[in-house]
Amino acid sequence: MSMQRIDAYATPTKSNRSERQRAWTRIILALLLLAGIVVWALLINADNLKVNLEGRNTAPSLAHLFGTDWLGRDMFARTLKGLTLSLAVGMLAALSSTGIALFFSLLSSWNKWLDDMVTWVTDLFLSIPHIVTLILLSVAVGGGFKGVVVGLALTHWPRFTRLLRAEVLQVKEAEYVGVSRQLGRSRLWIARHHFLPHLFPHLLVGFLLLLPHAILHEAAITFLGFGFSTDTPAIGVILSESMSYLSTGLWWLAFFPGLALVIMVSIFELLGRSIRRLAETSSG
Amino acid sequence: MKIRIVFIFLFLSSLVMACSDENGKEFSARDVDTKSSLVLAIGGEPEDGFDPTTGWGRYGSPLFQSTLLTYDQDFTIQNDLATTYKVSDDGRKWTVTIRKDVMFSDGEALTAEDVVFTYKTAKTSGSVIDLDNLEKVEKTGDDTIHFYLKKPESTFIYLLSTIGIVPKHAYDQDYNENPIGSGPFEFVQWDKGQQLIVKENEYYYGEKPSFKNLTFLFLSEDATFAAAKSGEVDIAAVPPTYAKEDVPGMRIETWKSVDNRGIMFPFVPAGEKTKEGVAVGNDVTADKAIRQAINVGIDRQALVDGILDGYGTPAYTAADRLPWWNPDTVIEDGDMERAKDMLEDAGWIDNGNGIREKNGIQAAFTLLYPAGDQLRQSLSIAFADMIRPLGIDVKAEGKSWRDIEKLMYSHPVMMGWGSHDPLELYNLFSSNTRGIGHYNSNYYSNQTVDAYMEKALRARNEKEANQYWQKAQWDGETGFSAQGDAPWAWLVNVDHVYYVREGLHIGEQKIQPHGHGWPLTDSIAQWEWDE
Repeated sequence: MSMQRIDAYATPTKSNRSERQRAWTRIILALLLLAGIVVWALLINADNLKVNLEGRNTAPSLAHLFGTDWLGRDMFARTLKGLTLSLAVGMLAALSSTGIALFFSLLSSWNKWLDDMVTWVTDLFLSIPHIVTLILLSVAVGGGFKGVVVGLALTHWPRFTRLLRAEVLQVKEAEYVGVSRQLGRSRLWIARHHFLPHLFPHLLVGFLLLLPHAILHEAAITFLGFGFSTDTPAIGVILSESMSYLSTGLWWLAFFPGLALVIMVSIFELLGRSIRRLAETSSG
Repeated sequence: MKIRIVFIFLFLSSLVMACSDENGKEFSARDVDTKSSLVLAIGGEPEDGFDPTTGWGRYGSPLFQSTLLTYDQDFTIQNDLATTYKVSDDGRKWTVTIRKDVMFSDGEALTAEDVVFTYKTAKTSGSVIDLDNLEKVEKTGDDTIHFYLKKPESTFIYLLSTIGIVPKHAYDQDYNENPIGSGPFEFVQWDKGQQLIVKENEYYYGEKPSFKNLTFLFLSEDATFAAAKSGEVDIAAVPPTYAKEDVPGMRIETWKSVDNRGIMFPFVPAGEKTKEGVAVGNDVTADKAIRQAINVGIDRQALVDGILDGYGTPAYTAADRLPWWNPDTVIEDGDMERAKDMLEDAGWIDNGNGIREKNGIQAAFTLLYPAGDQLRQSLSIAFADMIRPLGIDVKAEGKSWRDIEKLMYSHPVMMGWGSHDPLELYNLFSSNTRGIGHYNSNYYSNQTVDAYMEKALRARNEKEANQYWQKAQWDGETGFSAQGDAPWAWLVNVDHVYYVREGLHIGEQKIQPHGHGWPLTDSIAQWEWDE
């Protein structure tokens, strides 16, 4: 995972500034695009999602940018609805995963034994193929919205935990932490005043980089039939439904929703990477 | 760089040419021996194998075995193995005499002993074959069999026409995977999940089919369509949505069916529970006005045109166009105004946000369909949208059958039926079958209907029985069709669509039952190539 890479040294000051400017531009652009998707989805006319048997299976046109499906529903509206659902689920899952990772990393700073335990659990989860754990958990919890969120939340923390744990262990050895400890500050106090401020940029970036993974995995297990039930307007459902119409030539049913998903995921990658760059250059 | 691209291009194009060359050869090589052999991809691989005593062959012909009786195009009963059959005056004793010249495909003679053995085995098999009413079966001599029934049952004749006779001497545990019978074809090989290969039975007593070898491929819908396109199969069953595609060298044949889809409405108000604790009843659909208004309001033809691409017919009962169907059950539908009036008259008033209400109950329900069944999903979604202007709020939800079974007594479900045996009507609408498996999930009950169906079962011949079956649907005052109690909203009958190779004649087909594929093979003796 790319977020594990940490640039070791800061770049010279002059290029630093333009670098920061460009990062800001990218962040604002990405945020605008995402806001656009959400607002557009909220404004969708319910009529577009309605069944319209006369206008079914029409190719992309100006009236229907992404074409219509076999029930005459507008694919553009369905895709946007699906994207926002994916976004919401991804947010929820990535937030939970971040929380779990933070908890474990702080836990590992407690003592050697807890650190070993955290490392062991992390390795255990990393040793099983991701998608298998995900499907297992999702089915065990009962599928649907709950299954997907729980499954995603419980499978996306291990790599992030490793990263945070390394950071915590590093800060733990810092002089100012030693001073605080000698002054008699409690572990909780140290965690709140020394570890958390140091971890915050990592948390933000890590969260943003987890999002695209969570979204893609949500679409993946839904596509495989272990996620949302077929009546949910999720991208995974749209994609798996379109499979049976591909051989009859309705290519737009899969192409545009798939493309839209890829674009949204890329926007998040861009956002995450730009914020990381910003954090790195400022601290340098 | 450029040179490399040119090379790659040349390499690719030569590859393409090589492929097409090979295909061409294969095609011509096949053409020579296709005269006597056929490849079919018609789906429906039987999970339990080919044992008629556990249900093989109940849709259409058993292929390897033959039955005592059979029914023709117009559902008139004809002799097959039997030479005569007679029902006693009290309707409880059926006597059948059989041909003496019949041999199984292993050369052994088929005798009354085998028939008795078949029915005894089927009765105790605990399978979908319901022979509960058969008290005992005996033979006299080598060619006469007596069936004693507990109660008279006119539909017993349909069992005689669907249960294939198995050989006593060759029946063992593996019979379902290695069947021997007296039907037109002999079993060769079954690769589970892949294909079934059969050859002509040289001992067959009936009209000889003009094909020596048949291969049945078990493919997914997608793969079937691809196989048809690439010319690998002679007959391919596809869902109606594929039927608008042109496939070179093949034509489309569609057959009318009673393979219906409709919405089962819980008939009683909520409150009760089954022994297993499953909730029964639904306060909204328990109101006759709601059920009838839906039946009148939906536009069935629009569903046929829009979802089946025209490959279907509007459905009004579970048995449309069969001899026991009552044509008076056809109603004027797509009439929103009349439907609205019916709801108003019954006290369902718009509560201001477009949903009707009566005594504090909103006209809203969740319609369940089996997740993964695209046709039922489409119908459910389209139905929900179609019915909303009436002021009835329907939410379509996909669930697994396991979940549906826990909810189907209290929620409307998109179901499908359609059988060549009128006993299905009894199972769907009798007070005695309430909550038995998927039968009568409505908990429907109407004494007049029960009485008619009882009379139909006790009838001495099919003609008399059919009259009572028809009255049970609608006798001018009541019945289980939409004219009467309307416990269902039947929507469509799905045409069965096949790609058939040009020049191959597969004859006229009966109205096809629920279940694609095998019913097609029961006319196999008449199939032939154009000369």
